[in-house]
Amino acid sequence: MENVITLAHGSGSIQTNELINGIFKSNFDNPNLTADDAAVLSLDDGKIAMSTDGFIVSPYEFPGGNIGKLAICGTVNDIACMGAKPKYLTCSYIIEEGFPVEELEKIAKSMGDTARKAGVQIVAGDTKVAGKGQVDKIFITTTGVGNIVEGVNTSGAFAKPGDKIIVTGDIGRHGCTILLARNEFNIDADITSDCAPLWNNIEAVLNETKDIHVIRDATRGGVGTVLYEIAHQSNVGISLESEKIPVDPGVRGVCAMLGLEPLYLACEGRLVFFVPASEADKVLSALQACENSEKAAIIGEVTEDNVGKVILNTAVGAKTLLSRPSGELLPRIC
Amino acid sequence: MCVGLPARVVSVNDGTAIIDANGAKRDVRAELLDDLEPGDYVMVHAGVAIAKINSDDEAEGSEVLGLLNIS
Amino acid sequence: MNEIIEKAREIITSYDGPKVRIMEVCGTHTHEIFRLGIRSLLPENIDLISGPGCPVCVTPVGFIDEALYLALEKNCLITTFGDLIKVPGTEMNLAGARAKGGNIRPVYSPDDAVEIAKENPDEQVVFLSVGFETTTPSSCLAVKKAKELGLNNFSILTANKSMPNAYLKLKGSADAFIYPGHVNAITGNAVCKKLKEDGVSGVVAGFTATELMTALAVTIEMLKKGEPFFVNCYPRVVKDEGSISAQKLMDEVMELCDTEWRGLGMIEKSGMKLRSDYSDFDARIKYNMPHIEGKPNPGCRCGEVLQGHCKPSDCPLFGKVCTPLHAVGACMVSDEGACSAYYQYNQF
Repeated sequence: MENVITLAHGSGSIQTNELINGIFKSNFDNPNLTADDAAVLSLDDGKIAMSTDGFIVSPYEFPGGNIGKLAICGTVNDIACMGAKPKYLTCSYIIEEGFPVEELEKIAKSMGDTARKAGVQIVAGDTKVAGKGQVDKIFITTTGVGNIVEGVNTSGAFAKPGDKIIVTGDIGRHGCTILLARNEFNIDADITSDCAPLWNNIEAVLNETKDIHVIRDATRGGVGTVLYEIAHQSNVGISLESEKIPVDPGVRGVCAMLGLEPLYLACEGRLVFFVPASEADKVLSALQACENSEKAAIIGEVTEDNVGKVILNTAVGAKTLLSRPSGELLPRIC
Repeated sequence: MCVGLPARVVSVNDGTAIIDANGAKRDVRAELLDDLEPGDYVMVHAGVAIAKINSDDEAEGSEVLGLLNIS
Repeated sequence: MNEIIEKAREIITSYDGPKVRIMEVCGTHTHEIFRLGIRSLLPENIDLISGPGCPVCVTPVGFIDEALYLALEKNCLITTFGDLIKVPGTEMNLAGARAKGGNIRPVYSPDDAVEIAKENPDEQVVFLSVGFETTTPSSCLAVKKAKELGLNNFSILTANKSMPNAYLKLKGSADAFIYPGHVNAITGNAVCKKLKEDGVSGVVAGFTATELMTALAVTIEMLKKGEPFFVNCYPRVVKDEGSISAQKLMDEVMELCDTEWRGLGMIEKSGMKLRSDYSDFDARIKYNMPHIEGKPNPGCRCGEVLQGHCKPSDCPLFGKVCTPLHAVGACMVSDEGACSAYYQYNQF
């Protein structure tokens, strides 16, 4: 095969077949991966959850992962948050002409590895090649589906006053990793993306209790944005203990340098749970026993007052409002 | 104004220092400070080490309140 | 909560004397006071006012218009502290210029802007040089470096400000000032001591929870005594003489000039511009900048807000056409600008 992607790879020709067989089939191998126009599949009875997500990230490779891993985790986690075991995924690529084949292979390999880890099968795909400069290297869209575990009923609208809020690990690492990988601010720190598939973690919690009100994965916009979304959807207030929010020291250092708020940095492997107070300890210990959520912590609770607001209890024993970010995050000096 | 970042000096070389704030490292200009040595703590602003820091804020607070007999 | 904070908190929350007005003149203090929720601890008779201590808030509309001109008419690569990107000019802000194809890049340090110029010899790089005494040395170092490197594609657009004459302008706006620790780290305390002799009280404060609470407690205790005062509450960083080397550097590269502060108007000798030895690096000279008169929204009362003369809610634009998502005035731009903080708080 040539060593870069050419327009011929997207033309449905022999080269397209070479690409599919040489790169995708070998990495995604499973009995349901179709060679026809569509995959023919079966699902269990009951409700299903289905979601789709597009991924563009620059750079496409970063400490702790790449766009391929991200594309699997993102969709798997979206489905998992509805209490569904992710079962099938499809993926669609838009690749810029001239993209190195070797790099595509790496991305496909991490997609295959991550899918296996998440217990999901990639069953169909599509590849388009866009002319040089028409896209930024590679874009991936994944769509996924899975059966919702019986008895689970979660929604962003179900948070109730008194619920405890649990975050599954230290926050803001993915956003911070990407910021550093772009190397615009010449800062070095040993920080890797938190990017991870999280169905196992959710399953572990559901094995303990199905009385869970909200599960949300904190992606772009970070945990802070999720909290505001839930406060609005559920018509409740949120009270956070600022000193209990887990933040990696390196992330804290970068944030201090650039004047950024870790609560608004993206995560790609962190969940936020809203659970009845009676279930909180069970959920917390189930999470702490799982990979990727060892540092789970209770960071606050839902309140009846301050509807639609996120209030922080601060280091001086006072309350303050978590500022809502307006638009892009920019480093500041004042 | 002025976001200041307290950071530890890792190394100093010809007017430039590598500083470390909780593991976040960067080159900064160090020529405004004399006799800077690795291990010193400095206040960094916009890529320049603007002052040495000679104690932590609690010791300082206790000194300030003590001087004014507020305690 | 450490012991110092507890002590300070007790002093602050138990104050029951006559009404006092304390003004913090530093944007980062405003930010930290907001972030720590210190205002919610204050009894009703302590009024904490946010002064004009943020270079973003005091940068006039015309400066943004000049930057827009360089970005869009002269095709310069504009490098800037992130703070300025959302500040409204007459027609748009720098984010708007970027959407129109302008090349706008946030940087952490002016030195990084010099690096960008070095690596992109085909681009004309301009750094938007704002800031008070704390930040000005970084611009001076960058200009000197560009000169040493012989770069002819780097220049700066200055709007640097000098605090001492602004303090004089603010005299009477408050019973005591909380001076910006990192400005004093450079300038030293002489100005504040002189102000004390003129009857203007204040403390210089650091930025941690402990430092800010200590500084407020000291201010309240001293106000109770009724005599003019100055206390350095940030001695671990601020020396009486300040940073002699930074003062020398600024004097070598820049000189004082009259300058406009958004909202406060022209203040004599309160700005800094490049000396003639460095005029090759002065974007206004290099690009033969036409006179650009910024047109702020006539209804905007940011100036009075900055001087503590009115509350954000007294402004006719506040919360109507001027909101954090569509900021008209500079005080609404950053999350901690007086208007933005007030807007968010009042819903709390």
